[in-house]
Amino acid sequence: MSASRSANAVITNAFGNNAAFTCRTLNLDIPVIDIGTFPADPVAANSLQGIKRQQTNPKRWNEPVWGEFVLALRVSDVEIIEQKFVSGTFATDAGGTAYGMPHGVVIAKDAAQISTLLQAAQQYKVPVTVRGGGLTTEGESVAFGGVLLDMTGMSRVLKIDAENLSVRTQAGIFWHSLAEALRRQNLDYLSAPLNMTSSVGGTLGVGGIDVNSARLGCSADQAIALQVVTPTGEIVECSDSENSELFQRVILGYGQFGVITEATLKVRPYTPLAMHYFYYTSLSEAIADLQMLDANDVSDYSGILTMMDKVVNLLVAFDSDQRETAFKTDWLHRLRGHGEFGIALKMALYYAVHPWRWREALFLRERKNTLFPEFRRPEHMRNGKVVDRTVVFSRAVWKHWGSRQMVIPDLATSPEKFIDTVQKANLVCKKYFPHYTLYCVGIKLRADHAPHYEMSCIPPDAVTHAYGCEFEPMMGDLNADAMYSRDTLQSFKNEIYDIGVAVGASYYRFGGMMKGYIRRVFGDAVVDKHLAMKRKADPNMILNRDVIF
Amino acid sequence: MRNVDVIIVGASLAAAAAAKRLTDAGLETIILERKELPRHKICSGILSPRGHRFLLENFGPLPREVLHDPTWCRGVTFHFPSMVSMSLDFFGGSTPHLHRKYSDYWAIQRSGAEVHDQTSFVGLSEENDHIIVNARQHGEDIQYRARHVIGADGPSSPVIRAIYPDYPEQIPWFFVGQKFHGIIDCPLDHEYFHFFFNPNLGHYTWSHARDGQQIVGVGFKSGDNFDAKHKNVVRYLEEKHGVKLDPHTSHEGCAENFGPSLINRYVFGKGNVLITGQAAGFLNIIAEGMSCALHSGAISGEAIVEARLRNRPVQEVYRKMIASEVRRTTDQWNPLKVAFGMPHEADFRAALMKLSWAERRLVVQDIWKFIVLYKEFKWGRQIVQSALGRLSNGSYTQQRWI
Ligand SMILES: Cc1cc2nc3c(=O)[nH]c(=O)nc-3n(C[C@H](O)[C@H](O)[C@H](O)COP(=O)(O)OP(=O)(O)OC[C@H]3O[C@@H](n4cnc5c(N)ncnc54)[C@H](O)[C@@H]3O)c2cc1C
Ligand SMILES: Cc1cc2nc3c(=O)[nH]c(=O)nc-3n(C[C@H](O)[C@H](O)[C@H](O)COP(=O)(O)OP(=O)(O)OC[C@H]3O[C@@H](n4cnc5c(N)ncnc54)[C@H](O)[C@@H]3O)c2cc1C
Repeated sequence: MSASRSANAVITNAFGNNAAFTCRTLNLDIPVIDIGTFPADPVAANSLQGIKRQQTNPKRWNEPVWGEFVLALRVSDVEIIEQKFVSGTFATDAGGTAYGMPHGVVIAKDAAQISTLLQAAQQYKVPVTVRGGGLTTEGESVAFGGVLLDMTGMSRVLKIDAENLSVRTQAGIFWHSLAEALRRQNLDYLSAPLNMTSSVGGTLGVGGIDVNSARLGCSADQAIALQVVTPTGEIVECSDSENSELFQRVILGYGQFGVITEATLKVRPYTPLAMHYFYYTSLSEAIADLQMLDANDVSDYSGILTMMDKVVNLLVAFDSDQRETAFKTDWLHRLRGHGEFGIALKMALYYAVHPWRWREALFLRERKNTLFPEFRRPEHMRNGKVVDRTVVFSRAVWKHWGSRQMVIPDLATSPEKFIDTVQKANLVCKKYFPHYTLYCVGIKLRADHAPHYEMSCIPPDAVTHAYGCEFEPMMGDLNADAMYSRDTLQSFKNEIYDIGVAVGASYYRFGGMMKGYIRRVFGDAVVDKHLAMKRKADPNMILNRDVIF
Repeated sequence: MRNVDVIIVGASLAAAAAAKRLTDAGLETIILERKELPRHKICSGILSPRGHRFLLENFGPLPREVLHDPTWCRGVTFHFPSMVSMSLDFFGGSTPHLHRKYSDYWAIQRSGAEVHDQTSFVGLSEENDHIIVNARQHGEDIQYRARHVIGADGPSSPVIRAIYPDYPEQIPWFFVGQKFHGIIDCPLDHEYFHFFFNPNLGHYTWSHARDGQQIVGVGFKSGDNFDAKHKNVVRYLEEKHGVKLDPHTSHEGCAENFGPSLINRYVFGKGNVLITGQAAGFLNIIAEGMSCALHSGAISGEAIVEARLRNRPVQEVYRKMIASEVRRTTDQWNPLKVAFGMPHEADFRAALMKLSWAERRLVVQDIWKFIVLYKEFKWGRQIVQSALGRLSNGSYTQQRWI
């Protein structure tokens, strides 16, 4: 037994003040485990079967070198904010369950500043966590000590090229600001997350799925070129033709291989959109119809949004009258969903014979009454078409799904496995929460981007399309009776993720628990390959270190 | 006087979990421990798989130093007076056999909090929105000032006594003791924890292997004679199970607050003082208390973080959040859950189904006789009421919590 201790050393507390009292440092000589290595389990070969022996709630980085590092930055004119009231605003992410405090915050200014920061961070081995909108749900954009790099400081649109349909923008910009700038020139982005306060850089790094992704692909696939600051501080322009290897790693790379500082994105002419809704009582029927529409390229937007598994809403929308007319003549009659009146009648009948479910019926009615009008608010409609899709969607998302904690585990599979996977996960939702929503959507894949997809949100067995589903419990506000502890929510997420492991899925924006699941899902060979690349690119593993490896 | 965000009393597993959540969120936290660290803790050390996963995810892979020999436990074997035995394997494989002296020390150290050992909590008082904590350190009085206090100080919790002086008189107390024996011949499988459903031996009777010796332990209502009870168990093991042991080389014992989990009568504190872990009453079936100590401890830490962030009363937040852990723990004792659900981390019903019909009948009879031993505590009606409440409301009522 190697328990040892040194007498009367002064313990330094989390904020660098020397503790007023002396006490012993506690030292059980336990070797530090290198990131990505897995020592044999001393318990037994069969303990915690299948689960990797890896700490997933990171240990807070807290090294005395911090002071020296800050001095070095100051000398190089990089401003670093150490006040607690500033770092406190970054204590958690949209998930609201993981907490971490950075030692200092750097607000991004330009690529040169970030380059200086990363070089110093390599030299002093200080972790840097990059944050865009902070809309991750498992603490990926939370700094467990070290530096938090706030990218929202870089949020200018640099150049709109209406002729060639592209835009160059700084990567810390939120999608809604970008949409606004584009709208002034009658342009629009291709696809972006439905919540509009995520940043371009944060989205390109994780995926970005929209209700038009079945047609246009994920947001990450719209990027034509990027400016990236590598973990060692080089400023590099990359694209499919220039530094393509870096481009492959940074797109869908979870911030492991560089900080995205600028991006050139494809854009398109702006169009208002005509929406149609169809209501189902069967999840599998609705999904089958969604997949039929996607496979035949019938609509411009398609997705499923449910009220539990009782009322399943298939949303279909069009950019042009032409395609809308074609849909009406050729496809409408094949859909098995009901109209609003039909579903109301069906539900009334259902609850008439299931009167003990009155609470659920009330919830559904209340939800319908508050939610549906939100998608057709008069100020965002013209001639029956939605003119401000970005506002309509993001407003609805935050108003009707947002809460103190956003727990949104998700799964992405090949089209074939999708119905089965969603049904399994639906049962898990039911077990944990009285009320929840599922959101399902297709993702078109680019054959030429196969290397981007390795170890990403795109499942390895998906070829032309993948399907994503996210599972969103309605947890209510602060006054709700139930408040969920982190570990309750974590066990819910684990049960969803376990389905992913079992069916060989990926996680559609890889919402979370990457560290605990990535090896279980992709296998050691693939992860070790990426780890080796990461070690080469980031020798001291300083950039977003607790996210994946 | 040292002024901090949170003082945690006790440097055990509940404390480590709470401290991890608090220090992660940047709250300055000091843990006070009465003993010198690493400190000894009487315990069988069998951690459920859920607890193992918690340790792994929050503190990292377990090092060899925190384990006894054998390093693992495959499951539990129940032995009945009718001489039927049944073994239940833990879900997901073997679990750790923790060496509490070092596992707790390791977890506390990994939590990132500051620890003051040989510092014994003696009392507290409220002063505006702060709490003054009085302690003794190396024979001297010492005071701390904190916004919140967590009592993670185990079964006979001095923090509970400070806020509810007459609480200890309200609950029955048990004594559990164990003796360590050299082994001459022991047919009890060393991979399992052995539990004896025998009312003639004691309220809680167990045996398992550790570091080349065999532990024989027995629990009973406070007041009985440990040596006599223990001798009786040793004799029984020899006669019925062919266990031949040397005289014991060492022994130890302590008081236990067994009961609150069964009847949903937990103590969660008042004002800015939270009670957690076994002090609050958390104990799973077969007295596995570490996994619920870890989880409830973490929740007490989260509750303080949440309450401060959202500016809510901490008791309200804690009680809402702890409901899930109460469900988990009390479900384990809930007859409806045991009969129709799967509240444990091993499959009791499957093990029962492996027996013949005649054996099953014997087992059910023996379990009933064993339960009758507990009649005097008058828990029966409270357990049934809790179980029915759980069925209709989906949760256990908060009204019974202290
Ligand atoms: C209510 C809600 C609804 C959502 N709906 C959708 C949806 O419809 N579709 C969808 O796809 N997703 C959705 N998400 C997920 C979320 O939009 C994505 O996680 C988002 O893309 C993250 O963007 P962000 O700017 O917030 O990134 P952050 O959360 O700040 O960061 C994400 C990751 O990228 C890293 N990172 C951030 N910026 C950079 C950069 N410039 N360079 C390198 N690395 C960086 C971070 O370190 C982190 O690991 C939703 C989330 C919430 C909370
Ligand atoms: C014989 C026996 C066998 C057991 N076997 C198992 C088992 O196999 N598996 C299992 O999971 N559980 C077992 N348990 C139960 C388990 O040990 C407890 O439930 C668990 O340790 C509770 O953890 P805790 O963190 O709540 O408190 P404890 O582990 O009880 O820790 C309380 C801490 O507070 C300290 N303290 C007390 N008073 C003061 C004070 N005034 N000032 C400062 N510090 C103070 C103590 O020194 C101690 O370190 C067993 C218990 C016993 C007695």
